Amino acid sequence: MKTKVILSILFFSSTVLSGYKYETILDNLDDAWSIVFLSEDKVLYTEMPGKLKIASLSDKSITNINNVPSVQYGGQGGLSEVILDPEFKSNNMIYFSYSAKDANGKSTLFLSSAELRENSLINSKIIFEAKAPRRSPVHLAAKIAFLDDGTILLASGDGFDHREQAQTLDNHFGKIIRINKDGSIPLDNPFLDTKNALPEIYSYGHRNMQGLVVTSSGDVYEHEHGPRGGDEMNLVEPALNYGWPAITYGIDYSGAIISPFTEKNGMEQPLLHWTPSIAPSDMIFYEGDIYPELKNSFLVTALVSKDVKKVTFIEKNNIQENLFSELNSRLRNIQSSPSGVIYLLTDGPKGKLIKVLPKE
Amino acid sequence: MNIAKYPFAILSAALFTVMLITPISSISNLIWLASADMPVGLITWIEVILFDFQRLGIALYAVVIIGFGVAFSVAGLISKYSSYNGKYLFAIAGAAAIGMALFLMVELLFQTQLLGGNRSIIGKILHCVAGFLGGYFFYSLVSVERSYTFIIRFLGILYAYLILGSLLEWIFTPVNAAANFGFVLNDLSSAAQNALLRDFTSFFLAIFLFAIMGVVTLNPAWFFSASIILIGAAIFNLVAIYIHGTEYNQIFITEFILGGWPAILSLIIILKKDKTKK
Repeated sequence: MKTKVILSILFFSSTVLSGYKYETILDNLDDAWSIVFLSEDKVLYTEMPGKLKIASLSDKSITNINNVPSVQYGGQGGLSEVILDPEFKSNNMIYFSYSAKDANGKSTLFLSSAELRENSLINSKIIFEAKAPRRSPVHLAAKIAFLDDGTILLASGDGFDHREQAQTLDNHFGKIIRINKDGSIPLDNPFLDTKNALPEIYSYGHRNMQGLVVTSSGDVYEHEHGPRGGDEMNLVEPALNYGWPAITYGIDYSGAIISPFTEKNGMEQPLLHWTPSIAPSDMIFYEGDIYPELKNSFLVTALVSKDVKKVTFIEKNNIQENLFSELNSRLRNIQSSPSGVIYLLTDGPKGKLIKVLPKE
Repeated sequence: MNIAKYPFAILSAALFTVMLITPISSISNLIWLASADMPVGLITWIEVILFDFQRLGIALYAVVIIGFGVAFSVAGLISKYSSYNGKYLFAIAGAAAIGMALFLMVELLFQTQLLGGNRSIIGKILHCVAGFLGGYFFYSLVSVERSYTFIIRFLGILYAYLILGSLLEWIFTPVNAAANFGFVLNDLSSAAQNALLRDFTSFFLAIFLFAIMGVVTLNPAWFFSASIILIGAAIFNLVAIYIHGTEYNQIFITEFILGGWPAILSLIIILKKDKTKK
């Protein structure tokens, strides 16, 4: 009891100190990974074991979505990102990524589309299967974003054991993929005419991307887990090589050197790197008006540092500020509602959806 | 001494095996970097192999010790209660221990391969060969009588092995080394950077070499020399805090421990020599 009182006082003090207050909207979420707003009151979210659900934020009711494809849950795999078609209001289309076994029984990354109608998925279709087979579902990345031209970007991770393949273009390990909504390949993809290159590849030399954002100005930003150190944030442009694992600011989990090099001509430098690692898990570019102090900054959730990094860039310099650390939770996902209210998803088998209340 | 030689022989054989294992990952990685047109030169080879021996080696050391502990115990029982005997039994046990340890590491860690050098068939074979040689080495250590100097030498080598990490960081990655000491190297003036780089590198090089010389010669003066440097560092750390008003830095605890270690080795050598004289 005494401990609880002390913890409550500490929590209250830090909440007051930071100026933000928090409201837990949903709890006991089972490895929830991604959320997207259907309206100000309703969110669609994934749970890694393979559940897709809709929750009402006002009455806290939860509805299961039927006909979700089966996924390979385990390791770092399962049902991952879900996003809405930019024309969702008229076509009800959603896109979701997940790990499953390929025809040879190997684990890989899939991207499917489906119509969301009356709490069911209909006309579900696999629009992309990564040529990145691995023994177990790890380092899948699985983030999705729409470019302004209506094409889809999908982050495909390096598969851990296959890191060197991030440097070759004949596979989907460590690549950002660009495809049309129907899975076809855009005619202006950068490697269409490159011999032995897979035509879906947009950029390469990535590790395990966990944040992928397209800003209103059309710029693409991603962040990715480094190994021990070397978490990176990059400005993504077509055809560029982001260096992994030939250049890195991190070392291997075992302590071994992955590469003693941190730069090379023809390989892009990150906008910033976090060493030691913070384990960045998601990112938004906040353009709402509810929190004026956060406007036009990147908000990066982190699993290890258990906070949100507010990142702004002034020319090539970055300014960072730690937010919401009083929650002391591994944060998995961050979203802004249509009106601009920020919601945070905590990681793990008893995850929470937390609403951030603006400073008074 | 007869009983004590067994655990120290396991520790020694494990360290020897780690020294053989870590270059497998280093070299496979260096070959790939070279194939990716990275400018891999002689210095890069030295840097990667030495760093991996120290950092990857420490991570693997405990795993190899446990593996050898089990495998050599079983081999010892087989040797005792059967007609199978000799160095090859322990060598095979060593190979089996490494093979099993690496297999379990993969199965228990998301089925991923933590050791880059263990991804290929050749790499797996080389790891088992390292285990085989480790087992052979273990047998050669326990098959003859050992005196206290065996333990002194092992503890001296282990000490030098730990110090090697700091030495390598100051030589190859001083920015990281400085960060471990709590300051940003690039924030200092060029003259200050120069002074720190040469002094710190020399500091760790001296301790490392003194420990190695102590192991080779068993002359206690070498171990005492290492001890004086580190205990001096600890004392002047406290002087800096309490007399010159610098920020509290608890690294003095580590300095006292690392200074005390070779001092104890020196004292044991002296005491044992006195006893022998009497």
